[in-house]
Amino acid sequence: MIAALVAAGTAGTVLIELGAVLLLLAVLGRLADRIGVPSIPLYLLAGLAVGEGGIHPLEASQDFIAVGSDIGVVLLLVMLGLEYSSAELFGGLRTNGLAGVVDLVANVTPGLVAGLLLGWSPLTAVLLGGVTYVSSSGIVARLLEEFGRVGNRETPVVLSILVMEDLAMAVYLPIVAGLLIGDGPVESAVSVGVALLVVVVVIVASMRFGPQITRAVDTESAELLLLTVLGLTLLIAGLAEEIQVSSAVGAFLVGVSLSGRVAEQGRELLRPLRDVFAGIFFVFFGLQVDPGRLAPAAAPALALVVVTAATKFGTGWWAARRAGIGVRGRARAATVLLPRGEFSIVIAGLGVAAGQTSDLGSITACYVLALAVLGPLATRFAGAIGDALDRPPKGVSAAA
Amino acid sequence: MEVFETALPGIGVRHEFVTRAGTRIGVITRRDGRRELVVYDRRDPDSCRDIVELSAEESAGMVELLGGSRVTERLGDLRHDVEGLSIQWITIPAAGGLAGRTIEDGQIRGRTGATIVALIRGERSIPGPGPDQVLEPGDVVLLMGTDAAVEAAERLLEG
Repeated sequence: MIAALVAAGTAGTVLIELGAVLLLLAVLGRLADRIGVPSIPLYLLAGLAVGEGGIHPLEASQDFIAVGSDIGVVLLLVMLGLEYSSAELFGGLRTNGLAGVVDLVANVTPGLVAGLLLGWSPLTAVLLGGVTYVSSSGIVARLLEEFGRVGNRETPVVLSILVMEDLAMAVYLPIVAGLLIGDGPVESAVSVGVALLVVVVVIVASMRFGPQITRAVDTESAELLLLTVLGLTLLIAGLAEEIQVSSAVGAFLVGVSLSGRVAEQGRELLRPLRDVFAGIFFVFFGLQVDPGRLAPAAAPALALVVVTAATKFGTGWWAARRAGIGVRGRARAATVLLPRGEFSIVIAGLGVAAGQTSDLGSITACYVLALAVLGPLATRFAGAIGDALDRPPKGVSAAA
Repeated sequence: MEVFETALPGIGVRHEFVTRAGTRIGVITRRDGRRELVVYDRRDPDSCRDIVELSAEESAGMVELLGGSRVTERLGDLRHDVEGLSIQWITIPAAGGLAGRTIEDGQIRGRTGATIVALIRGERSIPGPGPDQVLEPGDVVLLMGTDAAVEAAERLLEG
């Protein structure tokens, strides 16, 4: 890697550029906090600014940022796997399966249809369907905490939809990764088959041997635990990539396999690393998008924003009503699910990395920029939306 | 009093019930052991009017204040009420098992499903011991769960 860095520029310029990028992210993160929006859209903008055709294109550190961005995807996915235990993932399958299917159908379809209407290949259209499907569990979790809704009775509904999306990703990612890699229909079918087989084997093994795996990894020292978990994750992710299953899937499976104290501590230890490298990943995604392509991408992206905000709102509303939640609670559940973020970008990133030449990158950038900002805004006003939809009982004024 | 348990994937677990006076209250147990006491809004029963964050220590204090140390007196009634509930006193051995280690180390609940509801150390009783509670040789531990869970936990504790 050192050789690669030196080849790309002097070590000094690499450090300077990298430091400047991280500082830029820090400033933007503070700004996002101040104005109350998630940091992802601002990180994307930073990427656009330092990319080809941006305000100040990076020269020396592109290679490093590319590697950093790969690590970012791996860490995002391992954290996603660590977030839920396999019991949590599969425990709700029976009760929440239907909500998961409705969510999938209602929110994949718009992206899929839009891709086909734009004249893209079916595979790229499926990727766009993935982009419009997944809510940002990172942003949703922050919003639930921020607005003090963790104890609310609609929150389990929201969480169960996020869990189902996670589970769907475990199937979706290997399929698209297999399709992106395979050349002909036979090869694609083989690589998809292998990928799905690996996923099933790992999930079954982790449910059976989870405690044993966890015990083997466990250690008293935080430093050793971090090294073990991080090393294991990168190794498995790399191996998965080598056998054409996609590093993202490998990392996700490592996360699912670990449980108990190791998962608990792993989350704590990996979080800061994930934040750094995920930031680099968003920048890298942004810098691959040609800012000149943003303007033509804006119209289809905004149409998708309108349609998929409505479908996601409908999904949340329906799921909450089904669980016996009142109108105000339904409005909160429906709006909090709107933001799309990190995983939409991960999915589009798979396509961009595989050399999809369409506007997938630029449309996704516009789309995430809009929904990552508008979603949180909408849920901030969920109370007002709920009041408007629910006539207040007699004698109780809205101001009370 | 009927307590409802709801899993909060990625966060922890929530227990809730409605008091006789009609207030719905709940306790959220985070995965890291922090507790939150939530009081639901009467006008919008799905949302919380108040959230009280409690550290592990504060939760234990709260339990004392609410009379949790009488827990052992109630056990007889409880066993009567819940069919299939097994309650067992276990003495921590001088060495081996979980002697000298914390409850968290043993992951009793995660691995067996049984719960340590209280700990008696000499004259002192420790109701609802936290995960970082160290088990000392001679401690008497009160276990609760299904027959199989308690049996498995017994093996873990005694080594």
